[in-house]
Amino acid sequence: MKRSWAPAWFLALLLVLAFMGSLAFGEVRLAPSEVIRALIGRGEGLSRTVVLDFRLPRALVGMAVGAGLAASGVLMQSFFRNPLASPGLLGVSTGGALGAVAALALGWASNSVFALPAASIAGAFLATFAVMALAKREASAEHLLLAGVALNALFGAATSFLLNLTAGRFEVSGQIVFWMLGGLENRTWAHVWMVLPGTLAGCLLLLPYRRAMNLLSLGEQGAQSLGVNVRRLQWEIIALSTILTALATAVGGVIGFVGLVVPHILRLGFGPDHRRLLPLSMIGGAAFVLGCDLITRFLPGELRLGVVTALLGGPFFLWMLRRPA
Amino acid sequence: MIRAEAITLGTRLQDVSLLLPPGSLTAVVGPNGAGKSTLLLVLAGLLRAEGTIAWMGEDLNHIPFPERGRRLAWVGQDLQVDFAFTVRDVVAQGRHAFGDDGEFVDDTMRAMDIAHLADRPVTRLSGGERRRTFLARALATDAKIQLWDEPTANLDVRHSLEVLQLAMKLRDEGRAVLISLHDLRAALCFDQVLVLDRGRLAAGGKPETVLDPELIHRVFGVKASMGREMTLELP
Repeated sequence: MKRSWAPAWFLALLLVLAFMGSLAFGEVRLAPSEVIRALIGRGEGLSRTVVLDFRLPRALVGMAVGAGLAASGVLMQSFFRNPLASPGLLGVSTGGALGAVAALALGWASNSVFALPAASIAGAFLATFAVMALAKREASAEHLLLAGVALNALFGAATSFLLNLTAGRFEVSGQIVFWMLGGLENRTWAHVWMVLPGTLAGCLLLLPYRRAMNLLSLGEQGAQSLGVNVRRLQWEIIALSTILTALATAVGGVIGFVGLVVPHILRLGFGPDHRRLLPLSMIGGAAFVLGCDLITRFLPGELRLGVVTALLGGPFFLWMLRRPA
Repeated sequence: MIRAEAITLGTRLQDVSLLLPPGSLTAVVGPNGAGKSTLLLVLAGLLRAEGTIAWMGEDLNHIPFPERGRRLAWVGQDLQVDFAFTVRDVVAQGRHAFGDDGEFVDDTMRAMDIAHLADRPVTRLSGGERRRTFLARALATDAKIQLWDEPTANLDVRHSLEVLQLAMKLRDEGRAVLISLHDLRAALCFDQVLVLDRGRLAAGGKPETVLDPELIHRVFGVKASMGREMTLELP
């Protein structure tokens, strides 16, 4: 059967539009020509500053976060053979959240810009290692999933505890809540370098796994009988998925539903074949996060990115649950 | 083709030894929970057990993964699918260890009578159609060893007979075919029958000597009598 790559071009176009939109819209509204002039280093000082110092890093971070979370979702869904699985399931996101909240509550974050992301990455890997240890070597997907549920509860409780500790220190607890809701405000080039190279490398490393992921998503034993080293494949995609989620959580906070909604919509539209689904999800995830970030700029009040993705993703998730298989 | 010696896995399999020569058709029978599926998983290298297993004279532990996919095909009982791959996509997966060259895909879809379903999502197939799809995926590997776990479950009479006839054709091509079955009458036309009982090999050999009423009564708890049978065959 001939497979068309038209959807990829369509999603890429959406991404370009969302990218241009996030450079153009905000408190200072810029015309497309001004954006392009600023991008190539021309134009007046104000628009150059707005585009190059504020909006470009924010857009790049948003793209990396979206691509990473959506790819991570595709990996989880293939791993668990369940289209409803998502990066948060293994407790990786909440592990990252706990790390970041600890950095804020204990004051590490005020010492260095890198302390918060570093703590978030450490928390995410702590969660993955904990899941691996809890689920043992020959664990089934169900065991891993249950370990993730338990860890999610544990890390959530620990996060709430830290939040309680900061009661009275309004600035810190405000920061924590702000961070727990996820967002891309005030992202700098430091954040870009923190997330972009790792996410790009992770996404490229994933591409050769696509065929084996097709087999895996139809069953572990069947995949192994067809010549796939399933155990190795599973740990490799879990590790890559953790890294991608950790990087995204480190720079953007907890942004839910991207890894669930984006792959699911694309799967409904273009089928479950990972050869197409994985790259499409990376592009689509990036476009989705940039689009949601744009929405936060148009709505009144300071609506957070994580709130917008949840407001769009939550009802979608409920609709999916009610949909007959 | 497959030689297994002293296979033991807890109480699920105890000291099972067997030989599947090239060009042979072997049935594994036994009551529910006797260990038929477990035996097939162990022989296919999908479940670790004590004892030694050799495929084509080579110790299984020394055969790398892609080569395993070229030598042996296994079809399990669990046919649950959660992703809407098309029938053709699933059958084409049989060529994974061959770099997805697409060979045999159309032939095996025709052989399993699913060519007309090629573009339909596997999630929208009946149980029998789905089983034929996974059998076609195993056939597409062109593997010399075929292990099928209850391939005739949820198939209608005609498709069951076709699967058994296909197994005989594969045997005639020099392959080793091992099939787990519940239908003792079907097992009568196999070259070799292995009777599993609570993880142990209760008997093994030619069907007419192995499947005697005494053993059937001991293992299955039913009274067997020959004769007065309706025979079904393909036209």
